[in-house]
Amino acid sequence: MTRQAFMARLMEGLRGLPPTVQAEIIADYNNHFNEAAAAGRNEADVATGLGDPGRLARELRAEVGLKRWEEQRSASSGASAIFAVLGLGAIDILVLLPILMGIGSAIFGIGVAVIALFFVGGVIFAAGPFTGLPGGPAAAILAGIGLMTGAASLGAVLSIVTVGLVNGLVWYGRLHFQLLKPALEPQSVGGLQ
Amino acid sequence: MPEAIEIQLKKGALELCVLALLSQHDSYAYEIASQLSDSIGMGEGTIYPLMRRLQTDRLVETYLVESPSGPSRKYYRLTDAGKTSFTSQKSAWNSFAGAVETILGGAK
Repeated sequence: MTRQAFMARLMEGLRGLPPTVQAEIIADYNNHFNEAAAAGRNEADVATGLGDPGRLARELRAEVGLKRWEEQRSASSGASAIFAVLGLGAIDILVLLPILMGIGSAIFGIGVAVIALFFVGGVIFAAGPFTGLPGGPAAAILAGIGLMTGAASLGAVLSIVTVGLVNGLVWYGRLHFQLLKPALEPQSVGGLQ
Repeated sequence: MPEAIEIQLKKGALELCVLALLSQHDSYAYEIASQLSDSIGMGEGTIYPLMRRLQTDRLVETYLVESPSGPSRKYYRLTDAGKTSFTSQKSAWNSFAGAVETILGGAK
């Protein structure tokens, strides 16, 4: 593969990442080619030594996704970290998907229940004093506040659990990173030539 | 099958090797890649995702140095966390390798 073809396939694979990150990565590999050229190495050999650019792009994407998740705990960065790890093929998606969907929908269900509980608390708090619930207006107000704070703390626990689960998945994915395999294979082929 | 074992071994050792090289002196990616690819037969391209990971984990940091030939080079150096990590990974490796060595020696 020529240097141009390698860089074109790498750029193709990096599309959609933040432009500054893309520029950094491109600069890294351009430097590699420049250093190798200065050392008198053949361009095609250098490209072979680097490995499959598509695979490298996927690994770099996964790294960027994980970094975003570590810096900013949000639903979108969590989702992109999960997809980046899945994109590596380090985890068998057919095994993982049913489990992920099960856990995901359980978390979603509990989340909806927590929100509903919060609203019920709000309704009791606001309307309870006028509907003659047993125990009088004060009890209704206190019960409403109790339900709302209960729901809020359940929600907090739920988000901690969710963050923990995504972290666990990321940890597992990294542990099983097929980091070397793709880069080694083309090289061993190159060695046979 | 032996190939799979070799890959797993190298995968585990790669980060340790990079930390070891950087603990001796600061270096730039091309130098690290060529040293490691010469001695342990690792794909050179692999070094770049790994360096990003080490940066994400804050085990290394970068600075630019003017190069005598061409554009400036991005050097990597170990952070304090990187030095600590290297020390603990090194002792873990040594005790593991020692244990494997003993068992392999006994099997002869």
